[in-house]
Amino acid sequence: MGSSGDGLPFVRCFARVRSVLKATAVAALPLLLALPAAAQQLEWSGFALLRATSGVDSGPLQSDSVSSQVQLGLDWTPSPRYTAHLHLLGRTETDEGTRRGRAGVVEAYVDANFRPFNDRLRLRAGAMFLPGSRENVDALWESPYAISSSALNSWFGEEFRPIGIDATWFHRGFVAGATLFRGNDTLGALPVLRGWTLDDHWILLGERIPVDEDFTSVSAELDGRFGWSARGGWNGSMVSVSAMHFENRNDGLPHGSLYGWGTRWDNLGFELTRGDWTFIAEGGWGPTFLDVFGTRYTSRLDAAYALASRRFKRGRITVRADRFRVEALRQNAWTVAWLWTPPGHLRPGIELASAEGHRRAIIELRYSFSGH
Amino acid sequence: MRHRLLTLILFLALPAIANAATIVATVRDSRGIGVPDAVVYAVPERTASPSRKTAIMDQRNRMFVPHVLPIQTGTSVRFPNSDDIRHQVYSFSPAKPFQLPLYKGTPANPVVFDQAGVVTLGCNIHDRMSAYIVIVDTPHFEKSGADGRVTLNVPSGKYTVRVWYPSMRSEPAPIPMTAGASDRNEVVFTVR
Repeated sequence: MGSSGDGLPFVRCFARVRSVLKATAVAALPLLLALPAAAQQLEWSGFALLRATSGVDSGPLQSDSVSSQVQLGLDWTPSPRYTAHLHLLGRTETDEGTRRGRAGVVEAYVDANFRPFNDRLRLRAGAMFLPGSRENVDALWESPYAISSSALNSWFGEEFRPIGIDATWFHRGFVAGATLFRGNDTLGALPVLRGWTLDDHWILLGERIPVDEDFTSVSAELDGRFGWSARGGWNGSMVSVSAMHFENRNDGLPHGSLYGWGTRWDNLGFELTRGDWTFIAEGGWGPTFLDVFGTRYTSRLDAAYALASRRFKRGRITVRADRFRVEALRQNAWTVAWLWTPPGHLRPGIELASAEGHRRAIIELRYSFSGH
Repeated sequence: MRHRLLTLILFLALPAIANAATIVATVRDSRGIGVPDAVVYAVPERTASPSRKTAIMDQRNRMFVPHVLPIQTGTSVRFPNSDDIRHQVYSFSPAKPFQLPLYKGTPANPVVFDQAGVVTLGCNIHDRMSAYIVIVDTPHFEKSGADGRVTLNVPSGKYTVRVWYPSMRSEPAPIPMTAGASDRNEVVFTVR
């Protein structure tokens, strides 16, 4: 595979993604013009965290020994029917032994809601997490269950961010949705070349994550093809189930120095809530391929987790089992997390994880804030 | 002394009790099965003054509780969030469009519902969350249980009995009635 030194194809792919974001901005312009009259509907919320980790250099639990993050969500609602959302993130990270910081945009989209036939239709345009995660259900795609996310959702957070249009239809307890997106043409490189991880490293728009001699980026649009996704589900009072499929429809060919990865994925989710207990099982599988000098190399991926979580008056304990695979390499991980939620803004937490002979302990202090 | 007080209370309450009527409504589908969460309400001939009561629409386990909340016009509704994650409650129903900022706990101000109609609630963060607030211009309303039955105790007089239920496409014909003192009036709504 080529080196990432030649930036030309990437510039081209960024130009395409920029055009999508520009279209989103144009769509939001009428809303922005009404800003002075509706400035009181602008709200902000987020958190800052400091984390100490018994650092692990490699494997699924690899992480920095000390890290910090600030995440901020800005929501502007000129009317209940329309919302514009901006999700910003700043974090420290270690790059080849050097500590540095990085900040940028995680999500940026506008929502429009309609009520046809007494149902609800939501249209969303921009860069977004694909709706439907069972684990990352809090605002800013956070998990209320543990400090790290499962391997499955860590991957989605780090390498998948549809940039396009999503439509979701709600009919009583049933939900159906479809997404048409650009970008994400290197989706699949991370689990194959680096391996699955358990973390919460949400990639920023335009960010390049080095893998092997290349990089991956959700903003990489290499072949001009749209990706798509479809999903459906049912939500009862205690049980909910969901199914989802996506394809980035990349050709798997090199574009300049950067290889595309063609990835298809099927995902199933199940959730049972009874009193203070929550049980979740979610898993997915699919192939990803790239084409090297006319030979197609396909890797079979799968990842699944099951968790049980008990909520208390001032906290939550969660046990999670992860299982993930690239071709014949199957790995497992166990995670136990305790999150304490005293009154006020602070949320201390401890997480212990074990995977493939490595153990990791994380202590985290999180401060939440909001205003409008 | 206590006996005298009880006698006095009974004496004062007797005209009201003697003047009361009962409306027993059954809401059932075309197969005869009771429809739960149906709101039956009796609208009196004379307009009732708006309510100043407060009701609760809770959020637990990413669900609105209750799923259907009937209230009288003028009622204030609080929206406590009993979850350990944040919710962003909204309605874009004509009867009461509003949005509560992303929050945990209980927002400071309740929402006053001063116009009759049905408000569909949602959460901007959690697509699965959905509920209804049914605002009626009468203090005489009740929500059906699993058997589809509702009992309303009303002062004697003329009423129009109406029904609303979550999957309703068009409203069944309202039933006018005169409820006499101590009457037991049975009505049946057969819905599609």
